[in-house]
Amino acid sequence: MQYSQKVLDHFMHPHNVGKMENPDASATEGSPSCGDQVTVYLKVNKDDMTIEDISFLSYGCASNIATASIITDLAKGKSLEDAKKITWRDAMEALDGLPPVKVHCSVLAADTLQTAISNYEIANGLKEVPNFSKDTILDELKKIIYPQVGEDIVSLKMVKYVGFSDGEVLIDLNIMSFDTWRENVVEEIHEHLEKYPEVKNIQINFP
Amino acid sequence: MKPGNIYLDNCVSSKLAPEALEAMIPYFSEKFWYPGSFVSTGESANDSLAAFSSVIAASMGAMPEEIHFTSGGTLANNIAIKGLAASLKRGHVIVSVVDYPDLLTNAAWLEKQGFEVSYLGADKEARIDLNKLKAEIRPDTVLFMTTAVNHVVGTIQPLKEIHEILKSAANKIFFHVDAGQAYGKMPLNVNDFGIDTMSVSAHKIHGPQGIGALYVRKGTKLGQFIHGVKRVDGLQTGGLSIALIAGFAKAVELVFADLDASIRHLRELSDYLLEGLKKRIPYIALNGAPGLSRAPHNVNISIDYIEGEAITMMLDMHGITVATGSACASQGLKANYVLMAIGKNHVQSHGSMKFTLSRYTTKEDLDFTIDKLAEITEELRSRSPLYNALKKQEI
Repeated sequence: MQYSQKVLDHFMHPHNVGKMENPDASATEGSPSCGDQVTVYLKVNKDDMTIEDISFLSYGCASNIATASIITDLAKGKSLEDAKKITWRDAMEALDGLPPVKVHCSVLAADTLQTAISNYEIANGLKEVPNFSKDTILDELKKIIYPQVGEDIVSLKMVKYVGFSDGEVLIDLNIMSFDTWRENVVEEIHEHLEKYPEVKNIQINFP
Repeated sequence: MKPGNIYLDNCVSSKLAPEALEAMIPYFSEKFWYPGSFVSTGESANDSLAAFSSVIAASMGAMPEEIHFTSGGTLANNIAIKGLAASLKRGHVIVSVVDYPDLLTNAAWLEKQGFEVSYLGADKEARIDLNKLKAEIRPDTVLFMTTAVNHVVGTIQPLKEIHEILKSAANKIFFHVDAGQAYGKMPLNVNDFGIDTMSVSAHKIHGPQGIGALYVRKGTKLGQFIHGVKRVDGLQTGGLSIALIAGFAKAVELVFADLDASIRHLRELSDYLLEGLKKRIPYIALNGAPGLSRAPHNVNISIDYIEGEAITMMLDMHGITVATGSACASQGLKANYVLMAIGKNHVQSHGSMKFTLSRYTTKEDLDFTIDKLAEITEELRSRSPLYNALKKQEI
């Protein structure tokens, strides 16, 4: 498995790394038990609503650190509206790609940037706290990467059905029992959804 | 920096001894013959093989006819376990959750063949719980398997005590030992420990890759696992490289000429590394047993607040090769199963680093490694939200 030179450069010499004093907003996503955690800090120019300054901290592997570095490069100087469109795919492209098994590490940094922006908007009365719904679940599932090919499980049509009622999440997942990555995907689904207090139970059905 | 300039992953494979390379060369050229009868070329190969078998046998207190050459440790394990299964037909098998994958995957296979398998837990130093072993033994227990030196944390299993327990059972319990990490790192006399079958590998002790051996106690019946023409060995039929066997025997001679000195040298180096790391890097902890309960070549530590793949890659940039138990660096994206089984948490597993030393490791190599690791740890911790949160608490 090989990393691109860009990944190695950003890993060895990350841009915008370090804790920010008095940020306008910040967010921390991931957890040490999953092996990675990223914090993103933002300073926002209130006149033109652009990201004036951004920095990150990362507990994670090389691709986690490199993605966090590139995502801060991509967001810096952008308007909040434009920064909201930055995804893990953009980060991956800017890094000249990642090995498929490492793509999942790129999702967290992009995700943390979006949460930081959302936290800023909520704190400044620019938007309401979003309601938890089936769409929230679907959005989370789009962040779960099937490690063998480095694509998310929704794009790969592995998610056949999503239901949500009374705190009960129901997911039909088209992954066979002999698939060596099934357990990883199931664990990730739990990690992504259990952080919502609205989720009381997750049931995953297989073919 | 030259890749592998400082190689501290010797539990995977170790540098071929120049003497072993030299010992192989005639068998790659003028003495290319295979064993045979009534012709001088074949008889010469017979004599060579007999001499090499004697060397391996002597290193473990065995008889030459009890040594069977294989292409490596994994094949040796498979021939022993599947061979015993074929002759035993059914019964109960005991293994431990911290054992080498060769044993655990074979245990899973045995279950599919109708054997019942009990998986023993281990204590926080990865040592098998002897009381639990006693409790698991049943009238139909036919096989106990263990990894003499744990492949992750280097803990030496209490083979003598295990032997006493197995011996006191009413029925015969076969004792299979994977000695991949133990061979050449501790005295391993098959008679002292009542071992029935044992696998060893050449390239862990500066022999060539692609050759190992299986010890099978005389009188032990193994079902035939590989069928074919008998050229070199009756258990692994077909061809085997006499040259590799020659290199294996030379490597064994080098280590066992003075095993105590070999062990002392490795232990001195690993103590030096561990002390140096402890002195220079805060918030680290040794994984596995301390002192004489661990193999002399293994130092496994957890570095808190940072992740192992990142550390490994940064060390690699300085030409230093080490291993990590981080999920991010594993093929299956899982935290190391041995560390998790001995009660470490995910962070301790993700931040675990395994250094395995060899005869060719120098104190200068270790000084350089300690220096670089201290720098890398400081750099990665400055980037880590976990470490920053800790520092904030301390203020």
